[in-house]
Amino acid sequence: MQLDAGNTAVVLDSTADFPEGPERFPSWRVVPLYVRFGADSYRDYVDLGPADFYARLREAPELPTTSQPTPADFASAYEDLADYERIYSLHIPRKLSGTWQSASTAAEQTGGGRARVIDTGTVSAGTTLLALAIQRRLERGTTDEEIGELIDRFRAEHHLIFTLDTLEFLARGGRIGKARGMAGQLLHIKPIMTILDGEVEPLKKVRGNRRAFKEFQDAFLAGSGDDPGLRVAIAHAEAPTRLAQLAKLVQATRPRATIEAETTLGPVIGTHAGPGTVGLFWFADE
Amino acid sequence: MLFVAESAEDFQRVPAPRAGTISAVTVLDLARAAEAALEANRARIDDLNVYPVPDGDTGTNMLLTARAVVEALEGGDTDITRAALLGARGNSGVILSQIVRGAFDVLGGVDEVDASTVTQALRSASDAAYNAVREPVEGTMLTAIRVLAEEAEAAGEASLDELLSSLLIRGDKAVAETREQLEVLRQAGVVDAGAAGLVEIVRGIAAHLKGEPLPAAPASEPPSADAVHLETSRYRYCTVYVVEGEDLDSEALERGLVGLGDSLLVVGDPSALKVHVHTNDPGAALRAGTALGILERVEIANMHVQTAQREERLSQSTDVQRMTDVVAVVSGDGNRRLFESLGAAALVDGGETMNPSTDAILAGIEQTRAPEAVVLANDPNVIMAAEQAARLAKTPVRVIPSRSLTAGLAAMVGFEGARSADENATEMKSLLADVSTGAVTIASRSVDMDGIQVARGAYLGLVDGDPIAGGTSFDAVASSVVDRLLGEPRDVLTLITGADEPELGSLLARLAEHYPEIELEVHPGGQPHYPLLLSAE
Repeated sequence: MQLDAGNTAVVLDSTADFPEGPERFPSWRVVPLYVRFGADSYRDYVDLGPADFYARLREAPELPTTSQPTPADFASAYEDLADYERIYSLHIPRKLSGTWQSASTAAEQTGGGRARVIDTGTVSAGTTLLALAIQRRLERGTTDEEIGELIDRFRAEHHLIFTLDTLEFLARGGRIGKARGMAGQLLHIKPIMTILDGEVEPLKKVRGNRRAFKEFQDAFLAGSGDDPGLRVAIAHAEAPTRLAQLAKLVQATRPRATIEAETTLGPVIGTHAGPGTVGLFWFADE
Repeated sequence: MLFVAESAEDFQRVPAPRAGTISAVTVLDLARAAEAALEANRARIDDLNVYPVPDGDTGTNMLLTARAVVEALEGGDTDITRAALLGARGNSGVILSQIVRGAFDVLGGVDEVDASTVTQALRSASDAAYNAVREPVEGTMLTAIRVLAEEAEAAGEASLDELLSSLLIRGDKAVAETREQLEVLRQAGVVDAGAAGLVEIVRGIAAHLKGEPLPAAPASEPPSADAVHLETSRYRYCTVYVVEGEDLDSEALERGLVGLGDSLLVVGDPSALKVHVHTNDPGAALRAGTALGILERVEIANMHVQTAQREERLSQSTDVQRMTDVVAVVSGDGNRRLFESLGAAALVDGGETMNPSTDAILAGIEQTRAPEAVVLANDPNVIMAAEQAARLAKTPVRVIPSRSLTAGLAAMVGFEGARSADENATEMKSLLADVSTGAVTIASRSVDMDGIQVARGAYLGLVDGDPIAGGTSFDAVASSVVDRLLGEPRDVLTLITGADEPELGSLLARLAEHYPEIELEVHPGGQPHYPLLLSAE
C-alpha cells in the first residue's frame, strides 16, 4: 500500500510532550494520559498544563500519580481518524507504562487492522523526533516497509541523555529501573541517565550541574556527526536556563543540526522526573 | 440473595429452582458483590502492588473498573463489556475488563447460574484475558484466572456450593504461589496484587451466590517491610507498634493516625492492634496508641537509611552482578550513614585520630561478599595499614589512598559495584585528583607551623593537610579555609559537621554572598575533634 499524508494518520500519547502536533498536522492526534492529585484526576495537557502542574506540585501535600489512557480513549481517537487507511500509533515504552497495552487493545478491538501500535523505545521529545521523521516520509509518499525500517533504525540509533535533580520522583513512581542502587543516597549526586530497552539506565554519576553539562557535551559530540540530517530535541522541567545552555551547545557543536523541538516536560512525565530535569535527544535522519 | 416474587406475573417468569442452582441472580448483583469485595480489600491490594511497576494502585484500579460496571448497569446500560472497557484503569483494570467480558459472554446468556455455567464463564474469562495480553506473564492475575478455569473443569459433577468452595481454596493457593513465580515478587516477599484482587472478586461473588454475607477482609499481617518500602516515602520514620487493651477500636485509631503520614496500616482484633505508619512525627503516632492501651514491640526506623540498605541488597542480588565491594575507614555516625548510602559494604571504625589496625581493616574486607574489594583509607596514616591488609587478603583488593573523609566521599561517587576492583580504583583515584579538602580542628597544643601561630585550644584551619589559618574565631578560620578551597573555580562545596557541631549561620551567609554560584551541601558527620570537614570539587 502506498502511504501518504492524506491517507495515513499519526497518534501520539501525551508523553510525547508535543501538544501542538494536531495543530501542525491535521492527520495527528494526541491521546492524553491521566495525572491524579489525591482524588482529582486530570487529562495530561488537556485539563492540566505544565505550568499549573509544577505550581501544584510545589504545594501538594502528596505526590501525584499517573495512569495510562483507557483502551476506549484510544478507540475514540482511532474512530475519529476513520477517513485514514493507516494509523501509526507511537508510544512510551511498555516497560514504563501500560499506554502501549491500552492502545494495542483498542487497535485490536476497533482499529479494523489499520492501526500499527509502536513501542518507540523513547520518551517525551524523542517520540516527537520519530513522529516528525515518519511525517516527512508520508509527505513525499512512502510504504509500511520503509516506515518499519525507519522505526527499527530509530529504536537502535537514536540517542537520549537526561539528568535529574533528584531520584525521588523516579523512585516513587517505580520507574527507576537499574538506577535503583542510587536511590537513598544522602550525598547529592546527579545521575546521568538514558533509556535502554525501555528501561531507565544510569550512565554515570557526577556532582554538580556543571559536570552534568559536560557529560551531555561529551555524549553529544561522541554520539553524533557533522550531518545536515541530524535532528535534535530538548526537553526540560522548570529548567529554562539549562534548556538554553543545551540549545547553545547543540548549535556550537553541530551547526548543521536542526533543533526540531524545545519542550517542557508535561504533567505525566514531570510526575516521574521532577523539576530540574533536562533531556537531550538526537537522531541522524536523512 | 434469593429472588422474592412480588407479583404473580414476576413469579411466572422465574424458572423453577433446581437443586444446586440459584435462580434469578442478576448480573448487577454479581457486579455489586465483586465491587464490595474489592472495596473491602482495596488498601491491602494496593499495598501489594509490585509488578509491573510499584505505583501502588492495583486495588484502586480494579475497584474503579468494577464500579464502572455497576454504575453502567444501575443506569440501565446492559453492555457490560463496553462499560468495563471504558472504566478500565491501569493494566490490572484492562485485564480485569477482559475477564469481565469473557465471563459475561457466558453469564449474560443464562437465566440461572449453576456449576456448569460457572465453569464455562471461567474458561471464557481466562481465554479472553490471555488473548488480550500480548506477552502473558505467569505469576499474575492471568495465572489466577487460568488456574480457576482449570480447577472448575476438573471438578466434574460437583454442586455449585462444592465448586465455589474448591475454587476459593485453589484460588488462595494460586495467589500464594505467585510469590514464587515472579522474581520481583519473591524479592519483595509479596503475592501478586492483581491475582489477589481477582480471588477477592471470586470470594465476593461466591458469598453472594451462596446467600452469605461477604467475609470480612482478612486481618492479614501487614505486607513485609520490604514491600512497603519499595517506594521511597516522603516521610522519614517507619513507626511500628502493637497496642494491647480491651475493646480497641481500630477505625478510631486509624482516624487518629491518618493525618500523620502515609502507608498507614492498622490491623488486628479488639485486644491487640498492630500499627504501621510512615511519619515525620513518630511521637504523635505513639501517643495515639498510648491513648488506647499499652504499647508493645515499638520499632522506629529511619527509612532513608532503610531504603539505601534495601536498594543495596536488591542491587547485589539481581541483574547487576556485583564484582566489587567498598570497605571504608570512617568515624562518626553521620559519616557512616553517608558512606553506607553511597554503597559502602563494610565500615571500619577510625579516621583522623584513631587509626585502625591492619587486622581491623582485614576483618572489614572479610565481611564483604563481592569477589573483589576496594579500601578507602580516608587518612594519610591509614594508607599503609590498608595496603598491608590488601596484601594479606585472600581476594583481590585495591587501596584508594584518600587522605581525608571528604576525599573518600568524592571518590565514592565513582564507585560502580559491577566493575572490577582495578577499574574502580582507577576511576576513584582519578576523582581524588579533582578534589581539594579542608578541615577546621582544635589545636591540641600551641603550634607554629608554616608561619601560622595557633594557641592550644584555638581553631586551626587546614587545606590539603597543611595549616593555613588559626585563631579563636571559628567563622574567621573556616572562612579562610573556604576562600583557599574556592580560590580556583569549583562546582560543589561539601561541609561535614563534627560531633562538636559548630554554628554555621554566618559562614553560610558569607558563602551565599561571595560564592553565589557554588552548589553547597551540608551534612552532619559526627566525627570527633574536627568541628568541620570541607571539600571542593
